Amino acid sequence: MIARAEILAAIRAAEVPPAPTPAPVPDAADAADLLQQFRSTLESVGGASAVCEPMQVFEEVVYTLLGPGRHAVVVLPGRFAVAENGAVYVDADDLTNRADVVLATELVLVVPTGAIVATMHEAVRRLPAGSRCGWFLSGPSKTADIEQALVIGAQGAKTLLVVFRD
Amino acid sequence: MSAGHPEAAAAFLNDSERAAWHDQALWFVRQRRDRATDLPEWEALRDRAAELKAYAMANLAGLLEAFETRATASGVTVHWARDAKEHNRIVFDLLRQRSATRVAKSKSMLTEECQLNPYLAARGIEVVDTDLGERIVQLAGEAPSHIVLPAIHWKKEEVGTLFHTHFGTPADESSPDALAAAAREHLREVLLHADAAITGANAMVAGTGGVVICTNEGNADLGMHSAPIHIVSVGIEKIVATLDDLGVLLRVLARSATGQPITAYTTHITAPRPGAEMHVVLVDNGRSARLADPEFRSALHCIRCGACLNTCPVYRRSGGHSYQYSIAGPIGAILAPAVDLDAHRALPFASTLCGSCKDVCPVRIDIPVQLLAWRGRIASANALPKGYAAIFARLGGIVADRTRFESAGRWARRALRFLPPALLAGRWNPWTRAGRELPLAPAQSFREWARREGRVE
Repeated sequence: MIARAEILAAIRAAEVPPAPTPAPVPDAADAADLLQQFRSTLESVGGASAVCEPMQVFEEVVYTLLGPGRHAVVVLPGRFAVAENGAVYVDADDLTNRADVVLATELVLVVPTGAIVATMHEAVRRLPAGSRCGWFLSGPSKTADIEQALVIGAQGAKTLLVVFRD
Repeated sequence: MSAGHPEAAAAFLNDSERAAWHDQALWFVRQRRDRATDLPEWEALRDRAAELKAYAMANLAGLLEAFETRATASGVTVHWARDAKEHNRIVFDLLRQRSATRVAKSKSMLTEECQLNPYLAARGIEVVDTDLGERIVQLAGEAPSHIVLPAIHWKKEEVGTLFHTHFGTPADESSPDALAAAAREHLREVLLHADAAITGANAMVAGTGGVVICTNEGNADLGMHSAPIHIVSVGIEKIVATLDDLGVLLRVLARSATGQPITAYTTHITAPRPGAEMHVVLVDNGRSARLADPEFRSALHCIRCGACLNTCPVYRRSGGHSYQYSIAGPIGAILAPAVDLDAHRALPFASTLCGSCKDVCPVRIDIPVQLLAWRGRIASANALPKGYAAIFARLGGIVADRTRFESAGRWARRALRFLPPALLAGRWNPWTRAGRELPLAPAQSFREWARREGRVE
């Protein structure tokens, strides 16, 4: 506990002059087409999405997105989507195993239709109070560490799909 | 002391083709950043980001205490380390008590700063860096050359040779897809079976007691949600007050770093999973001392996006290793002298003060002003790099005296206009030696022109 006391004392002794409390950032004013913005942004970061209409079968919507071939998908619930960056918020309370978000090779996130916010300002305000762990997942895992060449599927999901469903 | 930045940069430039390639690779990232920051509210976001960091620094002690209280309440153990040695010992003790011998680490510049890997290796603990770029440089026995793009100086053919040796990929394999696939197999194996996971942190949120970790590869999450113990190494300056502040930070971080709207994985974690342990080591290591220095305080606002490296004409043409500090580029050049003025005294001079770093910094750190201030401190401490003192004394005598300055200007213009180019561009001239052409000198100076026009006395 000596270290703690010494560090805190050194910080207080630094006597940094007061700084104003930053003003809250207002929510985005215009309700543009958030769904369209989300879908094109997700595509630009390597993901894909669909809206599952009430009469459609969920599995068919997913397999249409995935295309032919054998698949081993993991379906996880997302709470809401963020239009500006193609991210979906997933909370650990909704999962049996936290590692599922990265273990899955083909990941499908199901988000309630209409649960889209414009920017991260609104997104962080929607984090569940007392959340123990949560993620903003934006597209599949990726790396550009070899000569800046984008490779999809670094260590986590190789495919990431978002399906909006009521 | 080993060779300083000028010598190392000269060596890097010897391979002019490679230097040009390195320059272009980074400029490409800078251009992606420009496209990603093309938002109407971008400048306002930067203002807000600068404000939230200034607020955090002005209330640092209280925010750290609030973070500790909340994190502890949700089952996280918080440790405090005054310096690198104390940090390394805390981490080692945690690992030793649990008989951990294989550790999966995700990207953390702080553990580079503390030299954690060699410390643990000397005590029988193997640390595997699990970010692909960091794994490449680790296998090669190097340090990262960039805080966000650790292997930016590696060509794919060289990675192919390295992976052939270590992972048995075909000898001539150099496709990034195939090499990344081989690394995926290797790293997932390491991450899923490690005895412990160590991660850095991009931010701590005082209001939630949460740690925020951003990656594109997913390696940090694979490690921390699989291992029985997760240790977070984080500098005390990484704290923000509220989730509102975090929202601002997350909007500017990836856009500035790689030109992405956000990283693929952004994890906000406040509690260990059931049955596992989570520890946060808060590290000072000179930060509180820097906080007490008004001139350099705002260097602590840095969020490690790397935008200043990507844009810096000196960094792009000298490579990260030439800085000989865990953090290279303009931000490294203002952080390193505070750590060891003598060892890093050449770094504040590794800049033209063009100001591009300041223009791209998402938290508006005035890097050029701090570079200049460090030069002053270095001169006052009589620690100028070799040869600089004599040049500055002579130059100072000229620019401080108008008659001598104007006469020097006249002679220089005449020399440039009338001496044979072969003589001017000789081996003696470092300007032309680097492949640059000499400027065309005007016949008169601005002041001479103004005088003739009768605009000044």
